[in-house]
Amino acid sequence: MSALVLELDGVSIAAPGADEPLVRGVSLQVAAGEVLGLVGESGSGKTLSVRAVAGLLPAGFETEGVIRIDGEDIATLSAARLVDVRARRLGMVFQTPRAHLNPLRTIGDFMTEALVTVGGESRGAAEQRAMELLAEVGIGDPERRMRQRPGDLSGGLLQRVMIAATLAMDPPILLADEITTALDVTTQEEVMAVLADLRKSRNLAVLFITHDLALASAVCDRIAVMQDGRIVETLKAATMRADACDPYTQRLLSAVLPADLRTGEKGSDPVLVVEGLRKTFRVRAARGGRRESFVAVDDIGFSLSPGGSLGIVGESGSGKSTTARIICGLERPDAGSVSVKGEDWTLPARGTAGRRRRARIAQMVFQDPYLSLDRRQTVRQCLREAVGVHRRSDSLAELDARVDELLEAVRLDLALADRRPRSLSGGQRQRVAIARALAADPEILVLDEAVSALDVTTQVEILTLLDRIRRETGVALLMISHDIAAVRRLCDYVVVMQAGRAVEQGPIADVLDRPKAEYTRLLLDSIPHEGWVPQRRIPARTQSLPSVATSTTPVAVPPGRKR
Amino acid sequence: MSVGQLAGGRVPRAARHAARRDVLFIAAAAVMAVVVLVSLIGPFLAPYDPNQLYVGPVSGRPSAAHLLGTDDLGRDILSRMLAGSPTSVFAPVVVVILATSLGSVVAVVSAWFGGWVDAVLTRIIEVIFAIPGLVLAVLAVSMFGKGVIAPVIALSIAYLPVVSRLVRIGARTELGKPYMAALRIQGVGSLAICFRHLVPALLPAILAQAAIGFGYAMLDLAAISFLGLGAQPPSSDWGVMISSGQPSLLAGAPEQSVFPSLMVVLTVLAVNILGARVTEWAEAADR
Amino acid sequence: MSASTIRQLLGKLGALALTLFLSSVVIFSSILLTPGDPVAAIAGGRRPTPEMIEAIREAHHLDQPVWLQYLYWIGDVLRGDLGTSFLYKAPVVDLIAPRLGVTVLLVLYTIVLIVIFGIGSGILAARRGGAVDKTVLVATSVGVAMPTFVVAILLIWVFGRLLSWFPVYGAGEGLLDTLYHLTLPAISLAVLYIAYLSRITRSAIVAQQGAEHVDTAMVRGIPRGRIFRNHVFLNASPQILSISGATVAGLFAVSAIAEQAFGIGGIGSLLVEAAARKDLPVVQVLSLLLVALFVVLNAVIDVVVAVIDPDSAKSRRDA
Repeated sequence: MSALVLELDGVSIAAPGADEPLVRGVSLQVAAGEVLGLVGESGSGKTLSVRAVAGLLPAGFETEGVIRIDGEDIATLSAARLVDVRARRLGMVFQTPRAHLNPLRTIGDFMTEALVTVGGESRGAAEQRAMELLAEVGIGDPERRMRQRPGDLSGGLLQRVMIAATLAMDPPILLADEITTALDVTTQEEVMAVLADLRKSRNLAVLFITHDLALASAVCDRIAVMQDGRIVETLKAATMRADACDPYTQRLLSAVLPADLRTGEKGSDPVLVVEGLRKTFRVRAARGGRRESFVAVDDIGFSLSPGGSLGIVGESGSGKSTTARIICGLERPDAGSVSVKGEDWTLPARGTAGRRRRARIAQMVFQDPYLSLDRRQTVRQCLREAVGVHRRSDSLAELDARVDELLEAVRLDLALADRRPRSLSGGQRQRVAIARALAADPEILVLDEAVSALDVTTQVEILTLLDRIRRETGVALLMISHDIAAVRRLCDYVVVMQAGRAVEQGPIADVLDRPKAEYTRLLLDSIPHEGWVPQRRIPARTQSLPSVATSTTPVAVPPGRKR
Repeated sequence: MSVGQLAGGRVPRAARHAARRDVLFIAAAAVMAVVVLVSLIGPFLAPYDPNQLYVGPVSGRPSAAHLLGTDDLGRDILSRMLAGSPTSVFAPVVVVILATSLGSVVAVVSAWFGGWVDAVLTRIIEVIFAIPGLVLAVLAVSMFGKGVIAPVIALSIAYLPVVSRLVRIGARTELGKPYMAALRIQGVGSLAICFRHLVPALLPAILAQAAIGFGYAMLDLAAISFLGLGAQPPSSDWGVMISSGQPSLLAGAPEQSVFPSLMVVLTVLAVNILGARVTEWAEAADR
Repeated sequence: MSASTIRQLLGKLGALALTLFLSSVVIFSSILLTPGDPVAAIAGGRRPTPEMIEAIREAHHLDQPVWLQYLYWIGDVLRGDLGTSFLYKAPVVDLIAPRLGVTVLLVLYTIVLIVIFGIGSGILAARRGGAVDKTVLVATSVGVAMPTFVVAILLIWVFGRLLSWFPVYGAGEGLLDTLYHLTLPAISLAVLYIAYLSRITRSAIVAQQGAEHVDTAMVRGIPRGRIFRNHVFLNASPQILSISGATVAGLFAVSAIAEQAFGIGGIGSLLVEAAARKDLPVVQVLSLLLVALFVVLNAVIDVVVAVIDPDSAKSRRDA
């Protein structure tokens, strides 16, 4: 075994004034050139552990135990020496590159800063070196990039810039904290490919923190599974399926296994028919401040049969969410039509009465359950309101009876009914949101990334719940997701979208098992799996395009606006 | 996962708990309670007729008979301050109520309808913002004459942009959140969305702004009185008292100016502390 | 400067012109909104002589439609003809010109104090924390409740009566003597703004200190001083600048209070005097001047902020 470059021995971390430590006795070792995965769900303490190594704990947090960086116990070092050790031996890359780069300074400033102030190089030498480093992580035209600011680069490129910058001091170890979580799968693959190359060329050790067990098992040598501040077990990635003995690890493993829940119920007339849908947004160009058109949805058409389930998959900016919002009357299409049960729904309903009528037919569940609930309402108040809209003459007792039914239907403890969203877990919040959507017994349920913000084990629970609801109530599901695995679990028909267009659609087995479109194949291949070798597949895209970060997160449409 | 999330969770209860031990908050609330009470019943508490000349010595020191001393015309300073408190306190209250309600309505309408309505209202607000409050007040005085009314109306208009900008941004943020879209999809009526969800969400920020606005209105109105454009002597508005006591300062009798000044500063300080606490709680509840 | 920056600046210039135009309309219409006869309003509410009525009608083109009256007025103002005060029986320009210098000097003096002590104490509080932070917090809490006239009263009492270090009346002669005379007025103007700016600075810096990109710089071992300058203060400066800009631009109006308290004959005291005597032509021109100063200063600050942070200008227009 080669030398250990990072060692944690019995590390505990406690928040100021807390009785229980948040991280309890964590021990792990990373050898030179090794990739150690640290896997756990939110709140498991994995981020805190790595922040302790990097010296980024919030003020007042106390650490116990021994941390050795490159063989040096950091507790024995002077403050100045410790800063120097971290600066030279550690590289750290974070989840959100955009937030972790100073938006007001150029990439060049960022890249050269450590070389000049820590490495003592001259400005010119530092610039030369910075451009070499950018080239090393596969960034084309580094000279131009050096003059740009973070706002001009896409998330994937920024993450590579971050990685390049950490290499400036030739550190033996890289701390990677959820570095691809905010990225699309194809971009994730590219970043992982860069990391794999560096590992080979520099013998770089990586502590790879992630919530994604599939990704970890595809790229790591060993995996430490963390739960509630403890490492429950450490396994070899190659044999972890066989070796896992802790129940939590097994639960995580089963959460990523594909399990077929679908029932292929082919029905009568479609409940929803979408034809030739098109939507253009006026957006501000990344450069120049001039407004330009951005085609979000381009000629999309499909139909959904009663009780069926249709998935729309695509990466961010593909137009899948906009499609869902048009169907629910939150956006107006420029062309095309939406018809529900033979009725024309192309334009948003006029007036409250119209909206109320549609509300009984189609409902929506949003990505972030916390933001999609009014934080001032208790669960009961929220559901009462949703039920009351359609039962205006019901007494409070009758409303409450229905609320209890709904809570039952989403398997939510009645004791939680008087809580507000803040004191519910992510999964519980999403159950409330689903219950609210079911309040009017809709025939269509639109799920806009409804499980993406949840932990993997919770995702499985919610997907199972949705499938059961579909069987019991016969509601048709329209599922919008970037996660092909989730769509595969729940849907019997799929539309693959890229840049506003449907590149391929059909029954799920046909499309996902025998993809015809190049892009579908790319999407499928970039999902981490056993024996995965991440590749830089589309260098042309990231290097030649201006890599504009066009956020297509729908702009708030003022509700009272009559357009 | 951010570090903030780790520590967060039970903030509002902690805040409520902290309020009970928050000495500063209690002190500020007590000062405000006294000020409001005095401004309601103060004139009846006055030991002397506030306008009666020579009830005591000229520029007398504080004594048992005249707790805060007497002014350059031998009037009782305490009685004058008590008599002046209704104008000094309620004029800014009127400003705040007018500016806050009007500003909030403009902001909510602006954010709700968007488009050209928003553009036009924002432009109007922008123009009002360009005219400093004092200038607008001076303009109003030269049109309608000296007194309290013209400055009160002028400041109500001048404060509008501050409230409306803040509330408009808050309203837009709130309307952009998915729960607003969820309410529409559920078929909840527009009025219900506006008054049951939007307005309550904005209320803490509006209240905090009102508290801070009250402080500014009090300072500005007192300043206008001080300049001789607001309440007129023999009224004993605090600003007037401060200004008319200026000559006595150099004669070594600071009471006439200093006590009303102290009142102004204490009141504004108290209301600022209350405003800051409301803001903190609103932010904690938002997290 | 890129094409986009220039386009943004042109857009700003257009908005600036529109705001100036609309506010000038508001100021002009004060004559129309004044209760009673416009002639009386212009004459200061007193009963004018027949010759005066004739002169006023002539000078203000009262026989013309209102929009033409406005055009004549604004045209004259733009050409430097600021009209006539019928109360002072003098051209307005002759009233303003000799008083402008001392007000400008007073405001500049005040700005220097505000910038040095306001931003300085804010930085100190944010960086030192602990007892320093607490002290500054208490001082600024009291400071934001200390209006100009109260500070002026206290200064006059302390320096005029108890100590005699600084003069408490008049503006003095010559530059040095004038500065000496303006010290107390400038302090009285500055206290509230120092406290306000100090708090803004502190909270902007504290917010930036918690920014995630500062974590990045820390891990990379960038020296603390450099992190503060290049990543904390730089990023906090747009907020500090735009808020202090709006406040400082209002100083020209607020200076009236200090001028009044310390018996300084600047444009502030002229404005107050004119308002007290209902001399609308003078008040209008001075209001227009103050509004123009306010708007232009704010626009300048906006441009500076846009240079520091080009993206903010874009996103702010969207907000």
